[in-house]
Formats: sequence, C-alpha cells, structure tokens
Amino acid sequence: MDQSGAVPWRPPRVCDDYWSEFRHCKSLWNRFHHYYTHGTSPSCKQWKVDYRNCSEWEKHKTIEAKEALQASERCRVAEQRKFPPVWNLRKDPPRDWNLPLNQGKPQD
Amino acid sequence: MDQTKQEEEYGYDLFPERNSPKYKKGSFAENLFTFNHKCQIMLQVATDTSPYAKLLLSAMKSSGCKIFKDRHFSCEDCDGTVSGGFDAASSQIVLCQNNIHQQSHMTRVVTHELIHAFDHCRAHVDWFNNYRHLACSEIRAANLSGDCSFSNEVARLNFGLKEHHQECVRGRALRSILAVRKISRVEAEKIVDEVFDTCFNDHAPFGRIPHSNKDAKFANREYESRDRYYANL
Repeated sequence: MDQSGAVPWRPPRVCDDYWSEFRHCKSLWNRFHHYYTHGTSPSCKQWKVDYRNCSEWEKHKTIEAKEALQASERCRVAEQRKFPPVWNLRKDPPRDWNLPLNQGKPQD
Repeated sequence: MDQTKQEEEYGYDLFPERNSPKYKKGSFAENLFTFNHKCQIMLQVATDTSPYAKLLLSAMKSSGCKIFKDRHFSCEDCDGTVSGGFDAASSQIVLCQNNIHQQSHMTRVVTHELIHAFDHCRAHVDWFNNYRHLACSEIRAANLSGDCSFSNEVARLNFGLKEHHQECVRGRALRSILAVRKISRVEAEKIVDEVFDTCFNDHAPFGRIPHSNKDAKFANREYESRDRYYANL
C-alpha cells in the first residue's frame, strides 16, 4: 500500500457534533415535534453512544470504537435510502437551466 | 396544441404574467413603491438569512444549478390565493407579490419552491405528464419547508397533535396538485397515497425534517461537512 497518499481515518463528524445532536434530540422542542410528526418519542441514545465512541477514538484510537461509529453512521445512511425513488436521478443538470429567458428551448 | 387549453391544463392560468410580453422593466417609481419592490426586498432577506434557503441554494450550486436571483426568481402578480410556483419550462421560481405580505411567509414560499427547483435539478422530474412525480415533489415541499409546522397549522385553525404533520403534508400536497392539474380528488388522493412513504422519507438535501431554524442550521452543518462524512464511513 502506498502510504504517502493515505489520509488517516477520522470520525465522520466532529465529536462535539454528536454531543450537540444528542442534546438537541433530548430537548423538549424536539421531542414535541417528533411526536407531532411521527406520533412517538425520539430515540436519542445512539447519539450519546456515538459521542462516547468518537471520544474514545480521539483519545485512545480504539479500533472497536471506530468500527462501532462507522456501523452506526452506515445505519443512518441506510435509513435514509430505505425506499426506492419515484424518479430517476440525473447525471447532469438540466441543459436549459441557464438559458436566457425568451429564448426557444433546444429540441430534444 | 391550443394554448389556452395548455395553460389551464398545467396551471399557467394562475400566473397570468407568464404569458404576457414580459420582462418589460417598470418605471423607477413603479419599482420603488409597489408590491414588486417589497417582494424583491423580502426575497433578498430570505436568501440571505434563512438557513433553509441557504442550504437549498448550496445544494443546488453543488448539483450544477447555481441560482441567479435575476434569472431564476420572478416577482409577479398572480390569481387567487396562490403564493408561488416553479415553472420548469423557464427554470424560474415565481413569487406572487400580491399575495405575500410577510417576511415569514416569503421565507416559507422561497423554501417550498426551491425544493421543487432542487428536485428538477437532481432528477428527471416529468412535471407535466407524470402525476406521481408532481405529487412526490409536493409532498417533499410541504414536508420540508415548514408549511406544516405546528404554529402554521394552528394559525390556519387546524388543531392536531399526534402525527398531524403527516396529515397536513398529505392535505397540502393534494391541494397543490388539484390547483394545477385537472384530475379528480379521488384520483389525486390515490396518487398521493401511492408515493407518500417514499417521498415523505426523502429528506434531501436536509437529511432530516427541519422543524425550526435550529434544525435547519444543524442540517447546514451536516451538509457542509458531507465530504468528511462520506470519506470516513
């Protein structure tokens, strides 16, 4: 492996971000809005666990902490991608996005 | 195709200025003392200060659709009570200067329409022929723009608590579709039901449902660090 170009791993988020997300999650405001949206209380524990693992990595470079943190974040990403999309994503932006107004669109 | 029929079929009759020989600049006095001037100022405030708008503008720029205020926003007089719209044919967000009188309303409309513009930018949305696509974007816009916040619903005298947000999103998406397309309510409800789960859970580019400016600021923070995030997953 060529080590000269390797970027050392660091947690996906700054550790303080995990803590502030935890505090925000537990707040009365957020708990109210979670109930208003989903009809349930939010589950905030994972943010705290992630904060602990992040701090553990920062202090002692523990491999288990790193892997647990990665697993947790991958789970979050998977949650966001659970449902098949209704539309096809573009590879490029629309060609006419910046065309001047009052100009005919190009024929497809 | 008969132009009048096309206008009515696609909702353009709500935006009468879209078809007039436009882009005529008004007089200095006209621009300074009219709704148009107020609209322009409120738009500027919204894009400069709202974390919702700022995140959407960044996301659009990253997707190759940088927004230029003069090109992609238009303050116009509209019919009825409609507040704004996204015109995919000209890639413009229409703001109804005669129907938006408060800054908070302007911010919400700008966010709502930017979500449509963002969807147009990142996906092949068939606005005119595919009602599922239209419904999906309307669900996302109602969900993520603050349209259905508790305080906005209370102001509309819609009192509800448990999961009321979802009920509001369904209702507003339905109304938006019925306002611009000639289909039956039953058909529109069926389409909204079909796509609701997918589209309600599609939170791009926020990554969450923002219920307040604080949520939107957290979402901004996450968005700005996305390179680090994905590189270390």
